[in-house]
Parts: sequence; C-alpha cells; structure tokens
Amino acid sequence: MTRITRILIANRGEIAVRIMRTAHSMGIECVAVRTNVEPDAMYLSFADIIHEEEDELAEIPVFLDVEKLISIALKTKCDALHPGYGFLAENAYFAEKCRDNSIIFIGPSPDAIYKMGNKPVARQIALRHKIPMAMGTPGSVANEDEAIRQAGRIGYPVIIKAASGGGGRGMRIVRQESEMEKMFILASREAEKAFNDPSVFIEKYIENPKHIEFQILGDTYGNIIHLGERECSIQRKHQKLMEEAPSPALDETLRARMGETAVKIARAVGYYSAGTVEFLLDSDRNFYFMEMNTRIQVEHPVTEMITGIDLIEQQIRIASGEELTIRQEDVRLTGWAIECRINAEDVQAGFAPAPGRIEKISFPDEPGVRVDTGVRAGSSIVASYDSMIAKLIVTGSDRHDAIIKTKLALDKVWIKGTKTTLPFFRMLMRNPIFQAGTFTTAFIEKDLDKFHSSSEYEETIAAWLATKLFVEENLSERKAGISFDQGKELTPWLLRKRLTQF
Amino acid sequence: MTPERPAIKKLYALSNEGHKFSFSLPLKNIIRVNGRDYTVELREDEKYGVHILWKNRRYPVEIVRTKQNRYEILFNDIGHVFTVETPVSMQRKKVLRTGAGKSQALVVRAPMPGKIIDVLVREGAPVMKGEALVILEAMKMQNEIQSVVAGTVTRIGVKAGQNVMKDDILAEISVK
Repeated sequence: MTRITRILIANRGEIAVRIMRTAHSMGIECVAVRTNVEPDAMYLSFADIIHEEEDELAEIPVFLDVEKLISIALKTKCDALHPGYGFLAENAYFAEKCRDNSIIFIGPSPDAIYKMGNKPVARQIALRHKIPMAMGTPGSVANEDEAIRQAGRIGYPVIIKAASGGGGRGMRIVRQESEMEKMFILASREAEKAFNDPSVFIEKYIENPKHIEFQILGDTYGNIIHLGERECSIQRKHQKLMEEAPSPALDETLRARMGETAVKIARAVGYYSAGTVEFLLDSDRNFYFMEMNTRIQVEHPVTEMITGIDLIEQQIRIASGEELTIRQEDVRLTGWAIECRINAEDVQAGFAPAPGRIEKISFPDEPGVRVDTGVRAGSSIVASYDSMIAKLIVTGSDRHDAIIKTKLALDKVWIKGTKTTLPFFRMLMRNPIFQAGTFTTAFIEKDLDKFHSSSEYEETIAAWLATKLFVEENLSERKAGISFDQGKELTPWLLRKRLTQF
Repeated sequence: MTPERPAIKKLYALSNEGHKFSFSLPLKNIIRVNGRDYTVELREDEKYGVHILWKNRRYPVEIVRTKQNRYEILFNDIGHVFTVETPVSMQRKKVLRTGAGKSQALVVRAPMPGKIIDVLVREGAPVMKGEALVILEAMKMQNEIQSVVAGTVTRIGVKAGQNVMKDDILAEISVK
C-alpha cells in the first residue's frame, strides 16, 4: 500500500473541483494547473499548489500534453495524478507514462484502458466471454467494398463506429446499401480527424433503444462490484443531457442480470478503479454491450446520491492499493437521483454553444440538491473548452418525488450572462413521456417538436419589457443625453444606467 | 408640453412568432393575460442584477440586442424577439405585408377617407422611394401619398376627382 499525499489534477472545471473536494477530505494535497485560457478559473482557488503554465506558444492545451503533465507532476512532487474525464483520461500511453515515472495514475491499468478503448478489441473480448452484443464485424473494416459485404450480412440499418472512438463521436447510421460507400468514407475521415485513427467497424443498429450504463468498482485484488445503473437515454446527437439513477426501465431481475454482465466484462480485462459499462436496451428488454468507459464519468453523482458511495474516494483508495470494503450485497439503491447538465448553450438555436461571461449565478441551497460546478460570478465559459456551467443533482424518495423536486430546484437556479439549457430541463420535467419513463434515445429527435416552452404570461411580460424600452427610447421626455448604442450588445449595466435615467 | 405630433395612445409588440400584444400609453406596470391584470416590475439589485418581479417572484431578464424598434429579450432564460410598432407604423407594416404575399408587390391603400385631387404617376412608370403617387384631400388638407419603396407602378386604382374610402387601393407597385 502506498499512501497518496499529493495529487496533480490533470483537468479543469467542475471535475477538478469535485476531485479536490474529496481529496481534501482525505487529507491529501492537490496541485492544479493555471492556463492562459482561464487564469482566474474557480478550480484554482481549491488547489493547495498552483502550477503556472505560461507556454503561450504551445499548440495543444496542457491537459492534452502527456510529457508536460508528467514533468509538472514530478516538479511539484505529486505521488499521484487524477485525469478526471475527457482530455487524457482514457489514454493508455498517458497511464503508462505515469507508471514509468512512479506516479500513481488514479484510474485503471494502461492495459485495461487500451483494451476497452479500442472498440474492435473490446468486441472480441466481449465475444469471447459470451457477452450479448449487437451483431457486428469481427474487427475493423478495411474498405467500402468490405463494408457493403459486411453490412449485407448483418442486415440494415447498421451503424459505423470509429475503432478508437467513444463518447458518442464519429458515428454514422446507414439505412441502405446505396448510402454505404459515402457514409463509410465520411465516418473514416471523421474518425481520423477526431481520434487520429481512421479505422472503423460496423454493428447492427438497434432502433430506439434505451441507453443504460452500469457503474463498476474494482480493486487491485480482483474484487469487482457494480453500483447499479444510470439511465442516460435523454441525449441529443449522442451527447447526454440528463441522467438519472436508477432507470425506470429496470426491475431487480434485469438489474441483476445486466449488473452481472457488466462485472463479467470488467473482470475480463482485469479492471480496477471506477469504470462504466454501457448497454443498449431494446423494447423487448434485450440488452447489448456497447462499450466500457475507463474513467470517472460526468454523470457519476447520480450513482453517489443513491448508493451513498463517494466514487472519487473509492478511486483514490483503490489507487493507493486498498482493498474494496464494499461487497456486492452491501450495495443498496435508495431513492432516486436526477442530474441536469446546465450548459452554456442556446436551446432555441439547436443547442449551439453560447460562450460568455457569467454575471450572476446562484443555486438553491437545500436538502436533496447538490450542485457540482466550476464557475462562479465573473467566470467565463470559453469556447476552447466544454460548455458546462454546472450539474444540478436532485435526489428524491422515488422518481415522482425526484421530478417534482428537480422542477422546483430548476426554477430557483439563477444564471445571468449567457443562455443556458435551463429552459430545456424545465420543459422536460413537465413532459408526459419523460414523466412516464418510457423515453428512448430517439426522444429528443422524435418526440419533441420544441426544446423549450414558454407560457403566455412569460411572453406577455417580455412584450411589456420591449414596449417599455421602446417608450424610453422614443417617447421619453428625457430622451436627450441617453445614447442607446443601436445594434450593439447591451449589458445589464447599460440597462441599469438607462433605467435610472428613465 | 407641446407635442409636435398627435400623442400616441397605444403601442404594439409583435413577436417573431406572430403574436401581437398591445399596451396603452402611458405605459403602466401592468400586463393583461386572459382578462386578468397582473403587476410587473422591472428591478435591479446587487445580488440578482436586472430582473422582473411578478407575482412575488423574481425572474432574470436581459436585453440581448436592440436595433431600431426590434428588441431581443431574454426572460426566464428564454429568448423573445419583438418589434414595437405605433398605430401608424403598424398600419404601414400591414400595407407592406399585404403586398408581400404575392410576387413582392406593394399595395398602397388610402390611409383615410377623402377625395383624390391628382394622380401623379402612370401605370408602368418607375417610382423612387418617397415619390408622391397621388394627392388625397381629407379634412381640408391635401396629403401626398408616397411610395415607401422603389419599384414600378403596376396598377393605378383611382382617378382624379374620385372619392375614396379608408383602405381603398390607390396603387400597386412591384418592388425592385
């Protein structure tokens, strides 16, 4: 056993804050990296030591620079490194480099990362262990001719996936042979661009499935358990918007079967640390292994809320060589948790990123409401990173209670300065299909014609405000002296100035 | 107080979704929905920034953009776009819209009942924006009815000496 005393946080934003919170509670120091892009970021104020990274000429961001991160860890005398999610979290080379330099990588082994990261390899392993899977190609597909041959054997519709892909990127659905050649080339090109690897493979496309994933915990002594499932079917273009735990689609029997399968896959690669096994569940309740994510996930808090287990703490304990103290029979799922990803995106413009400066931000502070965030008033949501503002995690006694509490909590979130996905979640919580729990991954595309809803009252108030501004600008006696910068962005400050003169 | 033009009694806010809201002037802190009046207040403080107080609850509000009479407002995190019109500009808009439906033609209608004194253009003639089309006498005043667009006169609907009612078609212009 090695006692970890100082961790380099090889990440930023809310997950950096999240990791440091637990590390501190365990008496571990944290080193964070300051970048030029967001020198005043919130996560920095949680760090015990800040490493200044001032290389303005660097082409790739520091969080993607293996050599740089290793040298920072060595320089700041860190005995461990936490990669968070995204960036290098699922990079086997990075994990290996850490090991070579005697830095504990808080995550699984490089071997497990490699095997699960390479999708055709993962498929072969799953196949060997008789894990249910959608029919697919045994390995990568060499060219369009082979793609057409293989897809003919599997039967349309099929999905082309990047061999080195993940996180929903680089996927193409092909419904008929005539589209295959074009789609194959597009997918391969996309894969090369996104993952530096043009190889793709083909799977049977499961229509309208649910996306169900299982949280895995394993230690270095071969103990592996699962902490139940997360329901992640609310997605748009394969990007998750909202997650809940447990799933309304599972009962104890199915949960046990899927959970055992998830553990079996993890065992097949000698998995340790926290990981996630993703499945598709079809309308006949057949499930298919999709992929395994070898990192902590964005949506991990919903599992924490219903199991009472701190996943970051478990990751750190496992990394320092401790044996799991939780046995499968100890795991109890209590209550229901919902996570809304509040992103700086314009719901009315097809979820387009809406970077900007957060002027005001506040969240309800009450029991059952947890907020994981990496921004505060004055922070900027920059275009170079993801658009996440905060994760609102609400826990209730059951699903119905959790939905009601989420609805109330959403109404108490106050964010000014940028457009957010809040209107989407306010609408979602009131949607009958969502409330019934029968939604699939096609929900957003097929069952919604609008991503937000606005009442007649709200529209009337907005109309009143527009009229008020018009009166002030055009009909006010004291019009002179107020210059209204027409066509320019107006800040609340400008509005205030104008109001006081009104 | 010596208003140079007649006081405006009403304003219209037209949403880009085609909804119309009207407000009487002077503007009060009241909105009317489904026949009921509600008080709304625009406020600002250090903690919440600019916001609307409605039914004892604060809602975030932001003016995202404004251009002439067009306002983009973010209320409770949802964007709304309105153009605010006076009764006069509203009328003009209506005239423009009537023509817009088919082949970019503008229909010019009599803004008030009266007598046509003179027709200043011929069918087929090009007109400039602001060029007088007819002279309409009403309430003992001669009014020049001008083209609000540049284009070609495709039809003249009246003759000199003719009496017209409000909204009678005076001319049609195909927009350039």
